[in-house]
Amino acid sequence: MSKNAYQEMDSYRLAQYVVQAPCYVCGGGNVFDAELCRHCSAPMALSHQANTQKVRPQMVAAIGPSGAGKTVYLGMLSDLLSRQNDRMQILARGAFSISLQQATLAALGRCRFPEKTPNEPDRWNWLHCQVKMAKRRRPVELIMPDLAGESLMQELDRPNTYPLINHFLNRCSSVMLMVDAADLEAGDESHDYFAMKIVSYLCELDSRPRQGWPNRPVSVIFTKADECSPSIFHKPDEFARRHAPGLFRTCRERLHKHGFFATGVVGCCAYRNTIAGKLQVPLRIEPRGIVEPFEWIVKQM
Amino acid sequence: MTTIASTLVQRVRPCFLPLAVAAVGGVGFLVSWAAGSWLLAALTIASLGVAGGVCWFLRRRRVRPRSESSAGEPAVKEEVRSRARRAENAADESEDLIEEMLRQGRYALLLRPQIVGNLNEPQVRNALEDLEAAMALTPEGTVLLRTWRATAEHDGDPSDDHVMRVEAFYLDRYPVTNREYLRFVEAGGYEQMSLWDPDIWSGILDFVDRSGAPGPGEWENGRYAPGRDDHPVVGVSWYEAAAYARWVGKRLPTDAEWVKAASWPVGNGGGRPMQRKYPWGDAMDHTFANLWATQIGDTLPVSKLEEGVSVGGVYQLIGNVWEWTHSNFGAWDEAAKRLEIQGAMKSIRGGAFDTYFDSQATCQFQSGDSSIARKHNIGFRCCLGLCDLAPNFAEDWSAPGAAQSEGVENETGALEAAV
Repeated sequence: MSKNAYQEMDSYRLAQYVVQAPCYVCGGGNVFDAELCRHCSAPMALSHQANTQKVRPQMVAAIGPSGAGKTVYLGMLSDLLSRQNDRMQILARGAFSISLQQATLAALGRCRFPEKTPNEPDRWNWLHCQVKMAKRRRPVELIMPDLAGESLMQELDRPNTYPLINHFLNRCSSVMLMVDAADLEAGDESHDYFAMKIVSYLCELDSRPRQGWPNRPVSVIFTKADECSPSIFHKPDEFARRHAPGLFRTCRERLHKHGFFATGVVGCCAYRNTIAGKLQVPLRIEPRGIVEPFEWIVKQM
Repeated sequence: MTTIASTLVQRVRPCFLPLAVAAVGGVGFLVSWAAGSWLLAALTIASLGVAGGVCWFLRRRRVRPRSESSAGEPAVKEEVRSRARRAENAADESEDLIEEMLRQGRYALLLRPQIVGNLNEPQVRNALEDLEAAMALTPEGTVLLRTWRATAEHDGDPSDDHVMRVEAFYLDRYPVTNREYLRFVEAGGYEQMSLWDPDIWSGILDFVDRSGAPGPGEWENGRYAPGRDDHPVVGVSWYEAAAYARWVGKRLPTDAEWVKAASWPVGNGGGRPMQRKYPWGDAMDHTFANLWATQIGDTLPVSKLEEGVSVGGVYQLIGNVWEWTHSNFGAWDEAAKRLEIQGAMKSIRGGAFDTYFDSQATCQFQSGDSSIARKHNIGFRCCLGLCDLAPNFAEDWSAPGAAQSEGVENETGALEAAV
């Protein structure tokens, strides 16, 4: 004698694995429950958010050599704008978007700089946010990763070492290029060359006159300006002309939309000798000129 | 020819009378000799001798100044009168100088023991009134100072804390304003080398404003921006602050003095004194201090934010601008745990309008900057030890000598380490 038994057929769920979920950054296909893109290591959460919220976020890159201050800048910017509500406001999309802000501010609050961003793309922090401006009716959706400076430099020297960087910069609407002003003023020309390399790389990446990098907004941000002469905050263009002549001329020649800005987060620094070497210690936190370059970028987009 | 003749006349004129007498005498002698009268001849020779003596006397007088030779007794009176006039003028000048110094806010100089004796009663009263209005007294006592590691990195050991004894002192109620600093600039403060530390003599020429005129870095054409008279002066280095303090007869407060005035310690039976985290209490209130969270984004006039006043009546110790102190940065940390700094770094306290974290704007938090840094958010206020005032005033207000407790460091002794 046989007895009817009902067994749920879950096999149809396997169909989801057949349909490829495209990565938002590189467009490569991934299984639907992948955390990171198997092609470029970008978080798949960006893709899911874009699909569920029916928005197409724009991408902005904060790039510069290692130690230029990208992590501190992005962390500080997101914290400033998530507290401030008069000119501009940032609303984080997803819990992962707050990690960068949290880590940076926790370190600065104890007079320390945040840990160096690791070279592995799967360990980078991503910031997906909605930007509201007082004079703009519709908010802007933005994605900003905290790229590692060393990876970027490797990608510049050997293209396609980091596919994520290549794909991301190709799709970016605009770039915030960070340059260490304190080293520049001290006569370290290597930062001028790094910055020139980046601008040249961008222009080679997409050289179309209208949609390409020559016509996309680039804000050149002189970081650590609080360690330089105070005039840098009043006349960043003049500072660029004097201390980064190569970058100044390259921007003039190759970028139609560019602006020079000066920012500082710590008032003054000291050093601590550790086993790993000299460690920079911020003596106080007083952000200056953080919002202006970002505001300029968003207005240009 | 004319010159020779006039010289001759000048030389001859003083002797004209005696010569005439001698000539008359000579003629008389010859007449009496001819007449045979020996007595008359002797008289004539005597008269010639007198005439010669008179001539010699007149020649001697000719060397002296004309006024004296011509005035005699009235000249002495004139001299007495001119001396009296000079003394009167000097008294007027000294009175004017005292008035000028009071107008410039340099009352502290006038109350110094060496100077106060030259003042009359109303002047002393005025100077004292100015002192009371502009400065607040902090009584002597102990104060707890924590290390930088403990306050900034939250990583300190309570055994590293210092309990210091501080003598009574006056602290400016308000930070030094643009208006006050302008008086110093206009009085030629940047040219008076005696006011400046010899270390910086070669660097004073670099202390210029945006237009290249001597003055704070945030000024232009030797003036501050309109409407900022009562805002704290910023863009001044530690050396400029110290020079201004010297000019007004004061000095910069030490770390211990600053913390004592702000946290107002209360003795704890010889143990660690109990202190406030902020001048108004232990909880932050953003309406009491101008910090980043207040969202003003600029300095405020020094008399604003009355709610944030300290127990002693000192305004804006927290927020608005960082304040230079006399001490070195990190002086309270153990030598092995001290941070490495480039050049001389001085201690600043209190936080500024752009200080982001509340934890970095407490009475205990110390930051530092290069002594030649001229930042947009660093100002200063001055201090005056009670012992620097004339004894008559100091005695009235000093507390009876407190016995030194065990484990309490004397600030004057520790000052050498800190400064």
